[in-house]
Amino acid sequence: MKSAVQDYEAMKTAVEKAANEHGEPHWFVARRLAAIDAMQDLALPEVQRYDYHRWPLMDNLTLNWHRSDKTLASDIPVAKDRIRFVQVGQTTVEVDLPDELDDQGVILTDIFSAFREHPRLTEKYFMDKVTKANENKLTAYHEAFLNSGVFLYVPKGVEIKQPIEAYLIQDSTVKQPMVSHVLVIAEEDSKFSFIQHLNTKGDETNSASCMVEVLSRANSTVHFSSVDELGAHTYSFLHRRALLSRNSRFDWAIGVVNDQNTLGDFTSQLKGEGAHSESKVIAVTTGNQSNGINNRVVNIGKHTVANISQRGVLLEKSELVFNGIGDIIHGASGANAEQENRVLMMSDQAHGDANPILLIDENDVIAGHAASVGQVDQNQLYYLMSRGIDKELAQRLVIRGFLGPVLEDIPLPEVRQEMIDVIERKLEDGQHFK
Amino acid sequence: MATLEVKDLHVEVEEEQENQTREILKGVNLTMKTGEIHAIMGPNGTGKSTLSQTIMGNSAYHITKGDILLNGESIVDMPVDERARKGLFLAMQYPAEIQGVTNAEFLRAAINARRAEDDQISVMAFLKELDKNLALLDMSQEMTERYLNEGFSGGEKKRNEILQLLMIKPSFALLDEIDSGLDIDALQVVSKGVNSMRGDNFGALIITHYQRLLNYIVPDVVHVMMDGQIVKSGNADLAKKLESEGYAGLRDELGLDVSLVDDNR
Repeated sequence: MKSAVQDYEAMKTAVEKAANEHGEPHWFVARRLAAIDAMQDLALPEVQRYDYHRWPLMDNLTLNWHRSDKTLASDIPVAKDRIRFVQVGQTTVEVDLPDELDDQGVILTDIFSAFREHPRLTEKYFMDKVTKANENKLTAYHEAFLNSGVFLYVPKGVEIKQPIEAYLIQDSTVKQPMVSHVLVIAEEDSKFSFIQHLNTKGDETNSASCMVEVLSRANSTVHFSSVDELGAHTYSFLHRRALLSRNSRFDWAIGVVNDQNTLGDFTSQLKGEGAHSESKVIAVTTGNQSNGINNRVVNIGKHTVANISQRGVLLEKSELVFNGIGDIIHGASGANAEQENRVLMMSDQAHGDANPILLIDENDVIAGHAASVGQVDQNQLYYLMSRGIDKELAQRLVIRGFLGPVLEDIPLPEVRQEMIDVIERKLEDGQHFK
Repeated sequence: MATLEVKDLHVEVEEEQENQTREILKGVNLTMKTGEIHAIMGPNGTGKSTLSQTIMGNSAYHITKGDILLNGESIVDMPVDERARKGLFLAMQYPAEIQGVTNAEFLRAAINARRAEDDQISVMAFLKELDKNLALLDMSQEMTERYLNEGFSGGEKKRNEILQLLMIKPSFALLDEIDSGLDIDALQVVSKGVNSMRGDNFGALIITHYQRLLNYIVPDVVHVMMDGQIVKSGNADLAKKLESEGYAGLRDELGLDVSLVDDNR
């Protein structure tokens, strides 16, 4: 019988071999191996009042390369004049970047090409400045077994009007984890919005480790939205981090509408003076699924403004825990951090929690919170029904209103509609449960 | 012709404090037909709004005795939406605000709720009807793209209630204090909207404190309600008489033992 040590060494050797076959630069292979070592002693990320320890988030400790069928991306709406990156599994299907942006030095490419072709940018910024592999066990796993992703670089002073979209489609026609990384660097005075779509094709049970890191340099303005729509057999860990420099503005608008258990860990670190971040998250849970979401803002710089707004809807026997964490570091004088966490219970068998957590180590600040766990507003329901609209549709309309603040924030009307459609579908499914 | 009958209606509500109930309607009788406009007047706290909410089916009001019939069929066990689809409409005193749902989308949903799945209103037909009614009510197109009542002023909300009335075209409309908070111009516009509905296929029950509205929408029948009952009915002149003599005068004339809320002011 082989010992645990032999297994462990064999795993490292296999990862190293797969990475080398994949033509990865030495620095990254070395990082993978270091991450495997780090994984052993690190703890799982803490999500207060939430237990996910038994989820299969890291049960596949292999690194394999697989060419996915491009037709799995065929239902992505065809649209002209969009800035778009499409990846199915590990296979990049489409990269649409207008020539004028290319000329201005904008880079939009898959993450491994970026490692090879833009080592100066990626070696320095990949999981080093914004987030680190040794943050916890799951982040170390992510670096060790990374197998897909996208890199976006927007140079100094470049403004992009059209949102940049990334479709990251998990290929679950095969048994293989999705370990996908989005690295975004916004240089000084740049301005753009980014929309991420996460989807799953196929019915294999897999894990997804999807990470986003955004570096917002001074005076940049970045808006990041995500439609998280992973499949019913995907256990996901969504780790998203933004680091804000002086006078930058960075916002999240995230719709967590996956069909299986999801652990979300989102953080905006406001390091530079005068930085501002709005962190908006909505989630809809159905069936037996369970979502635990940490939404954290960290005020480090003086006069930073960081607001959290979270709204969740629970149906059937689902569970949803929203932790809003406002962390004001000593020295962040003049900081402002407000948060609002609300969940709507559509079923008495669901379990929802909205926890505001304020950690304040500075006197000269403004901080506040509001939280509620409640039912559908009966007045609104009555009003809609008094116009002849049946109860189920009326409920869905009221819920859409409840989720409105985040929907509003999605820059493309089509994507907003996509999000509304997913939510409607989930709500309809959930309503049929009695 | 459609009929709406209220028979010996007794209604109670739960008090906010304790687990007590209070009877508000104490035997209301009323018969309306399409083609008629009825007005209900009465002092504060006398049950006028309770009557309209109970007819519509607000679950906060419990019927302890009596019946409500629409075209001879009892509706008291029907949910709100079904009553609406059968032809009832309540213009509310305090319309709800709903973010994320545009006025136009809501109006279409309300119209389509009355139509078969395979006979939904076309976009063109809907917009044509909408434009016509917006013009009648002196409302801008922009109002229909805004979220339902969200951030609307008091007057805008009232106009929006009447816009819904015009779009939905119910058999019977219950108009609960649509004049409150309206300036004279808005009052005229709202009245114009209601008057445009007048005809053989429409009846209305107008609830108001003041006679003023009834100068613009002249009722066929006026009812006076006090302490949960209709104590007197008459023609439009009754409203004028009330305006000059007040509710206390009528109470004393009828020899009723009713204390008016505002008596000891």
